[in-house]
Amino acid sequence: MTRISLCPDHSALEVAMDQWSEPFWRAGENGKLIMPHCTACGTFRWPPRAFCPECRASDVTWADPGKPSIYSFTVLPVPGADKNAPPQWRVPVVVEFDSAPAVRLVSVLIDAPIDQVAIGQSLAVEWHSAANTKVPVFRLAR
Amino acid sequence: MNQAKAAIAGSGATPMYFRGESAPQTIYELIGKAVIAAVADAGLTLDEVDGLAFFAFGFDTGLVIENLGLKNVTFAACVSGFGGGMAGILDLAAMGIESGRAKNIVCIGATQQIGRRLGQAIGNFATSPDNVFHRIAGISGPGQALALQARRHMHLYGTRREAFGEVVMASRAAASTRETAFRRKPLTLDDYMASPMLADPLCRLDFCLETDGALAFVVTSSERAADMPHPPVYISGSAQVGCADWGRAFFWLGQPEESFVSAGGVPVAKRLYESTGLGPSDIDVALIYDHFSPLVIMQLEDFGFCQRGEGGPFVESGAIRLNGSIPVNPHGGHLSDAYVVGMTHVREAVEQLRGVAVNQIAGAKTALVTGGPAPTPMTATILSNTL
Repeated sequence: MTRISLCPDHSALEVAMDQWSEPFWRAGENGKLIMPHCTACGTFRWPPRAFCPECRASDVTWADPGKPSIYSFTVLPVPGADKNAPPQWRVPVVVEFDSAPAVRLVSVLIDAPIDQVAIGQSLAVEWHSAANTKVPVFRLAR
Repeated sequence: MNQAKAAIAGSGATPMYFRGESAPQTIYELIGKAVIAAVADAGLTLDEVDGLAFFAFGFDTGLVIENLGLKNVTFAACVSGFGGGMAGILDLAAMGIESGRAKNIVCIGATQQIGRRLGQAIGNFATSPDNVFHRIAGISGPGQALALQARRHMHLYGTRREAFGEVVMASRAAASTRETAFRRKPLTLDDYMASPMLADPLCRLDFCLETDGALAFVVTSSERAADMPHPPVYISGSAQVGCADWGRAFFWLGQPEESFVSAGGVPVAKRLYESTGLGPSDIDVALIYDHFSPLVIMQLEDFGFCQRGEGGPFVESGAIRLNGSIPVNPHGGHLSDAYVVGMTHVREAVEQLRGVAVNQIAGAKTALVTGGPAPTPMTATILSNTL
């Protein structure tokens, strides 16, 4: 049996945001993944926050962090609704980007054949509906 | 070399209970019982307690003082780290003694898991801009997040599940002789490999116990400790280091690679060894915070018992067994004995250095106690029975 990672339903998730993170979510609503990039020194910062961890400047420009790939992952068994329901597996993933070495995004890998998931594999982002915005999830790139 | 000015003179604890089974006692009742026992062990009375030291685990200091009728507490302080700050309470207590702020400082740690579990500590928090990504991922507990670090360690260094298994088997072998340990049945590698995966590559046996209980330790001046009933256990040195590279640890997962595959203890070890003039070869017994078995391997690397990436083969060689080159957690640790956020490790260090431990390491003079790989600041302490 090929185990496939599940695609969680995020429709009830209320995403908390603040002035530093809101542009990430607004861009996501248009299908774009961008991250804050220090205007002063060029360091990506994550999660979005008021100060650059390198130079402590505040101003950011929002930029494309590059191509996503798997930095690490785990596989969590998800109990079925009842004892007879087939088991499911959820795959949390830490994503790295080829143009933003200091940045890692924690997300979930969906619809992936679990036995074939490996560190280093290329990913593609998808934005799924949450209660008040859209959230980024990933699948293995074709 | 060791000019320790403060020492542990009393050790006390409640019985340990499986998660939730300490009810109907309250956590303040558990704390009170542990403090009373520790103070008696030191040959003192409660009226002589004038200091308290905690780490950030959510106690109401006023309630602790009120509950025990303490009347003259001139030092009440808290290390800001959670489990990572645990070993730092001994540092705090030593500072209180050395500065003359108090004479008899009681260090307190306790857990009671009713209605909420520490194993789901990430999911216990309200959603925030910072933690929403863990929600999207479905990471609700520290073990799930640390599984991601363990897998990266395996990827970079070829660390095997057999090494995680050896940490658990060594812990179980040690606990087998300890009547009060929760998990005592000896374990084979086959048993380990058959354990269900909870957060691949971590199986159920890689996760520590969740237990209830309270422990307390009386810290006083080395001079006064010499006249107390038990041989003094000197606080040789401690380190507390906050570092953004480790940051909020499993609440974050954004550590630079060298931190991501560590247990966050490198700067702590460096400072601890520099300040004490001691090194890993001087440690006779290591009490390593074992909430999850791979983190024992990473801490052995952090604290210099082996090189980065060699922790797997190091433990697989038998090095951490009772008769190994560095005995780790001779009481069975959090994996097999009990879990009270590292406090049981302090108790074991005290018993080893008093020479009365269940699995006594012959001639043990120096013990390392590490705080838990958890949000920064992280801490560690070296204890010794000789000045």
